[in-house]
Amino acid sequence: MIKLLKKVLQVGEATLKYPFAPAEVAPGFRGKPVYNFEQCISCGACTLACPANAITLSCDLERGIRTWQLFYGRCIFCGRCEEVCPTEAITLSPEFELAAFKKEDLVCRADFRLNKCRFCDRFFTPAKELEYVLAVMVQAGLPEPEVANRRALLEVCPECRRKVEVEKMKKAVFTPLE
Amino acid sequence: MITLNQELDASQKEKILELKLRLLKLIRRSVYVYRVDCGGCNGCEIEIFAAITPLFDAERFGIKVVGSPRHADVIVFTGPMTRPMRVPAIRAYQAAPDPKVVVAYGACGCSGGIFHDSYGVWGGADSVFPVDLYIPGCPPTPCATIHGFAVALGLLHQKMKGEHYVEGEGAGVRLKFPEVPIGLRKEIEREARRLCGYWHGRQIANQYLEFLAEKDPQKVDKRVKELLKAEKDARLVEVFMKIHRIFLDSMERAAGSA
Repeated sequence: MIKLLKKVLQVGEATLKYPFAPAEVAPGFRGKPVYNFEQCISCGACTLACPANAITLSCDLERGIRTWQLFYGRCIFCGRCEEVCPTEAITLSPEFELAAFKKEDLVCRADFRLNKCRFCDRFFTPAKELEYVLAVMVQAGLPEPEVANRRALLEVCPECRRKVEVEKMKKAVFTPLE
Repeated sequence: MITLNQELDASQKEKILELKLRLLKLIRRSVYVYRVDCGGCNGCEIEIFAAITPLFDAERFGIKVVGSPRHADVIVFTGPMTRPMRVPAIRAYQAAPDPKVVVAYGACGCSGGIFHDSYGVWGGADSVFPVDLYIPGCPPTPCATIHGFAVALGLLHQKMKGEHYVEGEGAGVRLKFPEVPIGLRKEIEREARRLCGYWHGRQIANQYLEFLAEKDPQKVDKRVKELLKAEKDARLVEVFMKIHRIFLDSMERAAGSA
């Protein structure tokens, strides 16, 4: 008996203090994905990478809004979104206290503005993504007039771009050489 | 489709809520938890049993896992609601005395999780039962389990909050390391990722790219050498050497072309 008590005192208390003291998590623990709206360009890489479809994108072409949504209730904390994000807008934090009474509290949503096509005046690409692409071109050392050219090109939707190219080719083919 | 999510009017809902709150107040004994696996991978069960081991000890708070739904005050549904487990789950639900607290546990219990679009899956526990609390996680760690139950029993407060951002005019995206040439950055990031995986690779690449912010190659070389001298992990030294080689090669190429 005394021997047992001695052993108990030696070993001490094994139980974690958790709710009264913060729990320690292992380094690299994958907890709640934290979303940084400023850094997100709504490129949709995370929606393609997400194996559980917890991250979804939807477009409202009438109002010109692209909605990015993360549903924590479906997330499996694999970190694939963090892996593919080009701007480090989503990172997995050590936060794990996610319990909620309502499903609405488990949703993170973000609305992005869409740009209109220069020709057909229809919404087609998020403004923030376009600006990011051009900023990267500037960083890569593209000269100023060339960046302006690229901007003119990128502000046209793929369908109109095709049409314009076909018109150009038509002109080139059917204009008689002098 | 058999479902217990009946359309209740507001007064009925209020009454049920009041009964549940009274149950938690007047219970004066351990809260008995019964757990139903509706077709999950058993990861959640393992974590629930980890939560009642002496290390985490959920029984400190009077949370006791029982073997029969007839004893239960709280029913925990784990796993996605699969077609064959639907009726047994409903029987377990009906066998528990009213008022009962229903908890959807794990990503699958909350919404169907990674199995949500499978042919045999009806969704989460909320596709059949009126759920009171969601505990997401895949699986929730024992600490998350304890937190979830404490929230359900009114001992702790809920931490999650729905977020909604709307894009306004103005601030764009901050570019990573604007002072480093983009091609060099790409090469370094790829090599670090190839050697160490995406998570450690990114950390190592970011650490190295911070040195490159100093434009002078000799200063960069000096700082990297200092770091390598202090570093004890031979693997990390090797990775840094390889990344540094890329930088030196690019410098040589630049010198050669100039």
